[in-house]
Amino acid sequence: MAGSASRSRRKTPSIQSMGYAVVIFPLVWVIATSLKDRRQIIQNPLGLPEVYYWSNYADAWREGNFGTYFVNSTLVVIPTALGVVALALLAAYAFAMFRFRGKNALFTFFLIGLTVPLGILVIPIFYQMVSLKLVNNLWALILPQTAVGLPFAILLLRGFIHELPKEVLDAGRIDGCSNWGILRFIVLPLSRPALLSVMIFNIVWVWNQFLLPVVLIQKASARTLPQGLSVFMGRYGADFGLLMAGATISFVPVVIVYVIFQRQFIKGIAAGALSGI
Amino acid sequence: MTNLRWRNDIPPLLFIAPALVVYTGFFVYPLVKLLELSLYKWDGILARKFVGLRHYERLLGDERFWEALSHNFSWMIAAVIVPVLFGLLLAILLSRSSMYGSIVFRTIFFMPQVFSSVTVALIWQWIYNPSYGAINVFLSAIGLEQLTQGWLGDSDLVLPSLFIAWSWVHYGFTMIIFIAAIDAVDEVFFDAAKVDGANLWQQFRHILLPSIRGALTTIILVTAISSFHIFDLVYVLTRGGPGDASMVVPVYMLESAFTLRRVGYGATVAIAMGLVIVGFSELFLALRGVYKDAD
Repeated sequence: MAGSASRSRRKTPSIQSMGYAVVIFPLVWVIATSLKDRRQIIQNPLGLPEVYYWSNYADAWREGNFGTYFVNSTLVVIPTALGVVALALLAAYAFAMFRFRGKNALFTFFLIGLTVPLGILVIPIFYQMVSLKLVNNLWALILPQTAVGLPFAILLLRGFIHELPKEVLDAGRIDGCSNWGILRFIVLPLSRPALLSVMIFNIVWVWNQFLLPVVLIQKASARTLPQGLSVFMGRYGADFGLLMAGATISFVPVVIVYVIFQRQFIKGIAAGALSGI
Repeated sequence: MTNLRWRNDIPPLLFIAPALVVYTGFFVYPLVKLLELSLYKWDGILARKFVGLRHYERLLGDERFWEALSHNFSWMIAAVIVPVLFGLLLAILLSRSSMYGSIVFRTIFFMPQVFSSVTVALIWQWIYNPSYGAINVFLSAIGLEQLTQGWLGDSDLVLPSLFIAWSWVHYGFTMIIFIAAIDAVDEVFFDAAKVDGANLWQQFRHILLPSIRGALTTIILVTAISSFHIFDLVYVLTRGGPGDASMVVPVYMLESAFTLRRVGYGATVAIAMGLVIVGFSELFLALRGVYKDAD
């Protein structure tokens, strides 16, 4: 271990400078630019601002309609994440706990969803939403993303419920719990960490989804945050102070959620990759 | 144990039904619809006309499609090298040393992964800006003005430039999986190797690499698959341009279906893309099977 400690002392500065160069510098630079006016951006593009133009944030928030986009994104993310977790928990419980006819076939049917990415389905989804009269409606984003989120959530939760101690479940059964009672009073509380992982993973994924809104939302008042940001980017293409203020507004909330829930989020990612998506 | 009682209780199928309805209605139905759409010539508005497999024939001879697919393939080859090696290097540095603050650095290095790709596009559009962007300003400042470029406007540089922006996000993913795999390796093996006098390269080659082989296969194939649905960055930054220099299959799919109003042909492009992805997934599962048997 002495060897590895001296090795790490040598490497510490290099990895820190790499961290600064790769991630911190671009972000600091984005934030610095967001606080400059046009003159400072042209004369001093790389330095810190001499005078801080906080007004870029107020302007970006107002001009970019970020308030509306935040509300819309939230209205999509919450029902989708809750829907995926609730529906997947119910299904995963049945797949993990019961034996019944057609179980393997049904499970395989859900697993198809792991190999087909949402991207290739946007054309039929668009015409489906046209016939359901849901184009420009946030449900057009909620329903398909819930459907696509289910297979992975079911796979993960089924595995988790499978690993729960059998004694606890049997005790509930002996005490006369119904199937619903076992789910509600034993499985649900014990599965909380896995449910949180699935939820955080879905929140970040849905919050950042771009392709689906591009196809399904054409009305300005129904745009989600990434889509609104791309419109904002097209409209103020040369006003970098304003654009970088918009970029900062868009990443700060995700970074806060990530820093708070990073353990759950990373667990979700790792489980996703190792399950073979 | 439980299958005795559900006769007079809620049957298991009822627990699955809600998920099944949503999944069938909004995933399986569109998938079937996609196959159907590819058999019709349709502008999205007027009556559609059955054309059988004609779109598939056209796809085989469509140079724009093959060019877009070749861009996805070049992307894939670069993707399984650059962000994978970078992620592996970072993972080794962050988990094989008792470095102070390595958790903080894990958090920081992984951060771009949670940004929306539009945010990433916005940041890199500014970095690549020909007049005021960081790269060109920096090159001018150190006297290398002749190297300044219009990074996203040059048909030879646009694809590598987009790829670098994408890698800035993707290495975080490879790093985090590598860290999970490396943390699972028992320290005893490294201690034994050190006692035997193995140097760092030998430790890497004979202990670390064999132990993380499964994770490595997974990462390479997940990365390869994700190279076929790169959409957001390309769509926001270049829409496939200049010309078709950065055209990739997902962007071509949308352009065919919605801009050129050839819905059936767009669906055919989507199916081709799906087949490539499913092909890689199968390869992935087969390879994983091979490694499982070997271990």
